[in-house]
Amino acid sequence: MRLSSKRASLQALGGFLAAALATSPVLAQAPDDGVLMSRKTLNVGAVYGHESWSEYWEGTLKRTNDNIGTLTTQSVSLVGHYGVTDRLTLVGMLPYVWTRASQGTLHGLRGVQDLSVAAKYQVLTTPFTGAGTLSAIIVGAAGVPASDYTPDFLPLSIGLGSRRASARMTLRFQSHGDWFLDGTAARTWRNQVKLDRVAYYTDGELYLTDRVAMPALFDWKVSTGFRKKRFYVPLSIVQQRTLGGGDIRRQDMPFVSNRMNYTRAEGMVMYGLSVPTDLALQLGASRTLSGRNVGEATMITFGAFHTFRF
Amino acid sequence: MRFSTLRLALTGTIACGSIVLASGCDNSIHPTEILPPLEATSLDAGAGNWRMIALSGPSQFVVAPPASVTSAPYVTELSAIKAAQGQLSPAQRQAIAYWSGGGVLRWNQIMRALVARYNLPPAPAVNGTYPVPDAENPFGDPAFPFANPAYAARAYSYVSAAQADALKSAWYWKFQYNRPSPAKVDNEVSALMPVSDLPAYPSEDAVLSGVAADMLKVLFPAAVEEITLRAAEQRNAALWSGKAAASDIVAGLALGKSVAAVFIARASTDGLRTAGGSPTLWQSLADAAVARGEIPWISQESPARPPMLPNFGLVRGWMLTPAEFVAERPLPPPSTGSAQMVAEVAEVRRVVDNLTRDQLAIALKWNDGAGTYTPPGHWNDIAAEYVRDARMSEVRTARAFALLNMAMHDAAVGCWETKFFYFNPRPSQLDPRIKTPIGLPNFPSYSSGHSTFSAAAVTVLSYLFPSATATLAAMRDEAAISRLYGGIHYRSDIEGGKSHGTAIGGYTVRFAQQDLANE
Repeated sequence: MRLSSKRASLQALGGFLAAALATSPVLAQAPDDGVLMSRKTLNVGAVYGHESWSEYWEGTLKRTNDNIGTLTTQSVSLVGHYGVTDRLTLVGMLPYVWTRASQGTLHGLRGVQDLSVAAKYQVLTTPFTGAGTLSAIIVGAAGVPASDYTPDFLPLSIGLGSRRASARMTLRFQSHGDWFLDGTAARTWRNQVKLDRVAYYTDGELYLTDRVAMPALFDWKVSTGFRKKRFYVPLSIVQQRTLGGGDIRRQDMPFVSNRMNYTRAEGMVMYGLSVPTDLALQLGASRTLSGRNVGEATMITFGAFHTFRF
Repeated sequence: MRFSTLRLALTGTIACGSIVLASGCDNSIHPTEILPPLEATSLDAGAGNWRMIALSGPSQFVVAPPASVTSAPYVTELSAIKAAQGQLSPAQRQAIAYWSGGGVLRWNQIMRALVARYNLPPAPAVNGTYPVPDAENPFGDPAFPFANPAYAARAYSYVSAAQADALKSAWYWKFQYNRPSPAKVDNEVSALMPVSDLPAYPSEDAVLSGVAADMLKVLFPAAVEEITLRAAEQRNAALWSGKAAASDIVAGLALGKSVAAVFIARASTDGLRTAGGSPTLWQSLADAAVARGEIPWISQESPARPPMLPNFGLVRGWMLTPAEFVAERPLPPPSTGSAQMVAEVAEVRRVVDNLTRDQLAIALKWNDGAGTYTPPGHWNDIAAEYVRDARMSEVRTARAFALLNMAMHDAAVGCWETKFFYFNPRPSQLDPRIKTPIGLPNFPSYSSGHSTFSAAAVTVLSYLFPSATATLAAMRDEAAISRLYGGIHYRSDIEGGKSHGTAIGGYTVRFAQQDLANE
């Protein structure tokens, strides 16, 4: 549940970070959007995220839990993008996360979560149908826990503690007018997680080991929106499927390898200031529409980015 | 230029992926402990004379004499084994390999998995009440049982004690009749698991399958299908491996089931059925605490949940009489109004709000909360490795687990008797600013169950494995202090529980010193 929420928050963050006026001075972006940096430009920023849920899916059963109340996850992420060439952009992100349950006795946790890096490379860009340009981007991404936090206290854990690598393909159609359409999909492979205990029960079996196999993930996202003058406004539908893992059992706690699925709607407004130049502000929101072993989360983000040219 | 950049990007991506996956390319997980084929260091030929727990003696159930190894029926049985061995499937070979690790150890693993599966508290109903698990409807919501630590301690003890008595009886008859294993009788029968000079009639594997399955079906009725299949697989593995003939198995199964019936009858009247108490009882416990001038425990779950098995302290023990349980009860905890209690509450808050990562790891390591095999299961897990490495015979293995689990059952009874006698509040009740980095158990604080279980377990295990005494003591102390790190116990709960558990474990050790297993 929060688990997912954690992961969800990271991905949402990535999505929001994404944005930006491709041709404008300021540009922020994420591994899963269709935006690239110009050559030798560096964009750095900070994003605050606030995610909360008071209902979650225990397996497929939607419920509340008075011993949690509302679970809130906040984060501040440092984000950077660098255009190596006009076709190749490197992305990095490092969040600090803290959690809290509004009811019950469970203690919140806090700490530096996972360092994520990605390389986005535009393999194709071509005029398409006379109405715009089609481009294709491949992305290799990796994440690694940046501190020794525990993934074994969900939904209060700040992350899942798994190293991971993903392969992504993104297609973008940019019209000659203001609007665009993105489609992206990725598969993520996750490494084993090590717990502080020597036995756990999940998916119908007792495991007498401290190692947990983490099922792979598949996600896709479709975005549309416009960019006009200094505004960039994408609206998206995102879906994540976990390719394995057990459900949260009735009245059980969530577990790190649960099958965490969700469908979420996201939206964002990004605005490049005219004074001072090279500064952009973003405001984003998302809502989980359906899920399994995740919270029905609502998230808002606020970020500021600055671009440097070399 | 374009392609070289692409190559660069791809190389970077692959390298990155390699770094991420570096040490984890082998993503396989082994769910169970590896158990090498059991080759016991001793036959324990005298085990038929070891002191019984619940049986009147080794011949309480008579096993009729077997046919001779030259008789026609037995020769037919040998032919059946040879025919089966000629066409073993991979699954059958896997079953043989699995059960060759030792029947008692395997059933112990299976039991731990059952406890973990059923160790979930009932979810609240819409009206804020909690339904009670119903043995007559074990497949419902809530499932039956809720295998909480007290239920689990009792379950582990019943299965282990019944196995021990059943195998002592089996050993008695084995050495009455001295009929060898098929693989020893006929050299055309292969020994596909270690086959010793232990007489095969009645089959110890069949005894175990019968006694373990019948006990477990009562304790975990919704798992009847899995239990039944496991038991049948154990018997088949004994047959296919050349270790036992069909008549060895028939006799063993009957003996195992007979012994199980004795323990099931004991369990049906041991007080568990009324351990849940009633709203009247719950209120009277709170009233009694108030009358003593103390702040009574309240449930901090929402909606408030009835306390876990408040009358479990009246359940029949293995080694202690009801009067002895009362006599061993720890002295009262610090008064909830005392300066010492204020200081202890402050210590808990200071610890949880400044918890180090190592302390959190210890709290999580020993948490053994809902959805796990419980603290008694954790000590079975620990004991299993010592037992495996000692290469004990099946009957001596069963004795070891019986001693361990009877002590932990008695620890559960004594601890629950103490908890509900004093009805003492948790730290987070006295100071709501205390938040816990593990789940908060829904029953009174004093004394610590983990400390009591661990001390009782370590007292017995140190008797069985004296060379491990120091290691075990360190584990006991870590398990006990983990509850302070978890923010759910005061230091006095922990100290009280350790002393109590050590005293209770001593009763079992005194039984073990006189059970003739070391003659």
